[in-house]
Amino acid sequence: MRSDTPVNQWEVSAFQVSLTPIAEAHQAQIRAWRNQPEIRQQMLASEEISEEQQQAWFKKTKYDPKQLHWVVHFRGRPIGVTNVKSLEMGKAASQATVLEPGLYIGEQAYQNNIIAFAPTLAMYDFCFEHFNVQQFRAIVKSSNTPAMHYNEKLGYQRVEEGELCVLELNVEDYRQHTKTIRQFLSRERKANTVKRKT
Amino acid sequence: MNNQDKLRQAFVTALGVKPETVTDELQYNTIAEWDSTAHMVLIAELENVFDVMLDTDDIIDMSSVKHARLILQKYDIDFA
Repeated sequence: MRSDTPVNQWEVSAFQVSLTPIAEAHQAQIRAWRNQPEIRQQMLASEEISEEQQQAWFKKTKYDPKQLHWVVHFRGRPIGVTNVKSLEMGKAASQATVLEPGLYIGEQAYQNNIIAFAPTLAMYDFCFEHFNVQQFRAIVKSSNTPAMHYNEKLGYQRVEEGELCVLELNVEDYRQHTKTIRQFLSRERKANTVKRKT
Repeated sequence: MNNQDKLRQAFVTALGVKPETVTDELQYNTIAEWDSTAHMVLIAELENVFDVMLDTDDIIDMSSVKHARLILQKYDIDFA
């Protein structure tokens, strides 16, 4: 399954961040983030990525309808990468009913910050609204406690335990669990102004 | 209770830590009790105690007790 043209044409902006389809110009930064030991060790494939491997990966994914990758920008700077992959044979990410999400925040200042929820909210909202997805399914190393907590805050339920845990999320649980986060991340940007509630 | 005491108590309530833990130097994500979930509870507690609604930028940037006080001062909360 291969497209003749680049598959990801969707720009998404919400919750203070913008998601830009990955491009050639992003590859050095993505590789530098991906090779950080603290990020690499949480990946299912944890070996270092060479420049050649990075380029090969980019050339493949750019035309693969089963996966969509975005660079996350916050305050005008790239801070990480997010993606979805189809888990259904022969179905593009936009057509699949089950998607596997991925995210890493490369900029340390924003790792574990509440803003780390923004790209996920932006991407999930977009996918639920514009694609066929009914469910997200995440596979996380059980040792990756921050990712487990992160996913549970989004409303994921653990369905398989083990060295690798499988978590699933439907739209109802997602909307219910993210009410507070989305409310905090969608307020006006009016720094230095005084705003009383009453 | 003055505003400094209210600030300390808000951290104690939201994070479930002892009052002596709440110093200016206490920073987000340096103790297990102040993770991103607790951060949201803390924001809600500060908004309730001081009757303000914080901007998203301030919620994101509130990285320490000291920073929380500086941010609240922008909302006319006096810590003198």
